[in-house]
Amino acid sequence: MAAWLLGIKTLKIQPYHLPTLGPQDVKVRIKALGICGSDVHHFKVKKLSTMRCANFIVKKPMVIGHECAGIIEEVGSEVKSLEVGDRVALEPGISCGHCSLCKAGSYNLCPEMRFFGSPPTNGSLAHKVVHPAKLCYKLPDNVSLEEGAMCEPLSVGVHACRRANVGPETNVMIMGSGPIGLVTLLAARAFGAPRIIITDVDVQRLSIARNLGADETAKVSTDIEDVDTDVGKIQNAMGSGIDVSFDCVGFDKTMSTALNATRPGGKVCLIGLAKTEMTVALTPAAAREVDVIGIFRYRSTWPLCIEFLRSGKIDVKPLITHRFGFTQKEIEDAFEISAQGGNAIKVMFNL
Amino acid sequence: MGKGGMSQGEKKDGEEVNMAAWLMGVNTLKIQPFELPSLGPYDVLVRMKAVGICGSDVHYLKTLRCADFVVKEPMVIGHECAGVIEKVGSEVKTLVPGDRVALEPGISCWRCDHCKGGRYNLCPEMKFFATPPVHGSLANQVVHPADLCFKLPDNVSLEEGAMCEPLSVGLHACRRANIGPETNVLIMGAGPIGLVTMLGARAFGAPRIVIVDVDDYRLSVAKELGADNIVKVSTNLQDIAEEVEKIQKAMGTGIDVSFDCAGFNKTMSTALSATRAGGKVCLVGMGHLEMTVPLTPAAAREVDVVGVFRYKNTWPLCLEFLRSGKIDVKPLITHRFGFSQKEVEEAFETSARGGTAIKVMFNL
Repeated sequence: MAAWLLGIKTLKIQPYHLPTLGPQDVKVRIKALGICGSDVHHFKVKKLSTMRCANFIVKKPMVIGHECAGIIEEVGSEVKSLEVGDRVALEPGISCGHCSLCKAGSYNLCPEMRFFGSPPTNGSLAHKVVHPAKLCYKLPDNVSLEEGAMCEPLSVGVHACRRANVGPETNVMIMGSGPIGLVTLLAARAFGAPRIIITDVDVQRLSIARNLGADETAKVSTDIEDVDTDVGKIQNAMGSGIDVSFDCVGFDKTMSTALNATRPGGKVCLIGLAKTEMTVALTPAAAREVDVIGIFRYRSTWPLCIEFLRSGKIDVKPLITHRFGFTQKEIEDAFEISAQGGNAIKVMFNL
Repeated sequence: MGKGGMSQGEKKDGEEVNMAAWLMGVNTLKIQPFELPSLGPYDVLVRMKAVGICGSDVHYLKTLRCADFVVKEPMVIGHECAGVIEKVGSEVKTLVPGDRVALEPGISCWRCDHCKGGRYNLCPEMKFFATPPVHGSLANQVVHPADLCFKLPDNVSLEEGAMCEPLSVGLHACRRANIGPETNVLIMGAGPIGLVTMLGARAFGAPRIVIVDVDDYRLSVAKELGADNIVKVSTNLQDIAEEVEKIQKAMGTGIDVSFDCAGFNKTMSTALSATRAGGKVCLVGMGHLEMTVPLTPAAAREVDVVGVFRYKNTWPLCLEFLRSGKIDVKPLITHRFGFSQKEVEEAFETSARGGTAIKVMFNL
């Protein structure tokens, strides 16, 4: 059985026929699955009454969900690295392996990418899925299945920190203290960032960030008029130059704030995908050689995430705020809670 | 030698009076005396021989400002220059009177973190010729630090020396964007900056270069200077999708790096859409301050936006490219004027017109 997205705000647990197990595939019994903002977005009513997320439009029923971990139940004939009973975290996206982007290592940008829960590819909120063995990573004994499922959102933060070259000399500013802002905070700290400031409009989320180790927090508004005041607040809170800013929200306001607050020669990493067209003061930023770095999902991050979790350098457990089982009513409740935001950071299914 | 007469002050007590072109007010330039500071131990006194006009010089003339820089009192204009050493300070060992040199305009502090890190172009204390309140170099003579004066090889003219300044913008952009033998390049805008960027990209080994502009004449100049393909575009935002297709066809393969040498919503949006996933868009032009662009779809394809501000450590490379012939800037110099009141006014008028005027050069 799986949770199918049948229409707007309509999820139904129904049978899900799996493909046959290829020689390089494994069959995984899903045990833990987190809800992502993109899952909620596919689920909710959109202005034009279509179900969409950026360029992906849901045209036919689709199984939802992609942040997952489980236990191997069956292995394909050529699979040597995994065996039945292994606890694994799953990397959702299957890339082609042939195109120039894949061969260059930027497989996250593969135009033929098939990604759990990105139409038309079925997701993994199901009892079982079939998946390539090379995208299933064995969990160390001290890393739980829920933490395994958290590797997916954590990977976004890790990939962003790599692209932005976060290290022991980079003071970091994070706009947005939601799930993505928080995993970016955890990743930045693990990469050695000496000082991390985080901003949000919601004081509750800021206090969570503080508990997770942010050096300083700053409350900001949604009013574009306040950019200059917010920049002043943020720079004061940092106390020294801001080397890298992560916009984990992606609005005109947050991007403008980040571009202004970052020191000359620094970087602004755009992770949040809120808007398509943005009106920002790009030229003054470019004239201070503040570069804008784009982030799309992640690449080659699972081994590092798992190591960070194994060693305790990163603790994602506080991000899991709500848990649900796999029944019709519970999946509906779960999506409702996740959509609400607020004190719901990561909503997790236990199957 | 330029046409027309030369403006030089009468000798006063046997001493020459140094004259310069002063920006007195909007659209008002006046050749007047310019008193030079005394020569420090690490300075040189340079007799100016060639000075080019930049778009920023024209902008100051018309509006008395450029972004956050405002002209509050009369200022000598001009910064793209080369000349002959007349005197050297007591500690100067690398240059002697008679040396032909190209001048790098900006004096940075050498104490701040940016300077110490090598990114001195970002120094907050930068003193740059003709960026208020610092006087420029359209004058008979200037005093300048010796370490910012670069000796010209014998086969490089003074005019080419003056061209090192705009060329530096192109080279710095190519460095920041990592241009090399595998980067296919798109250039938005075939004006002076688009053209020096194209020359730079070719010198850095770019295998294929497509350049776009709204102006047929400028496109033809670009083709003559070696563009692989040219595309005429409009100023209309509605045309973006169609133009992106045209441009990608003209390239024939993925566009790795785009240089926006115009800096408008249209050009930036076109560049962001046309560049391949994982590529870079280098924003060189400063058309608009605030821009409305599809930044998120670009970021979601990991197309990075790289900023460029002036240049750093580019003169030696410029001079080597010119010496070896790998770059030929001479075709960019389309108009020449002498240093007289009338000619200074005409020169700026010509430069402001754009069109067939690429680089307007003073010969003093």
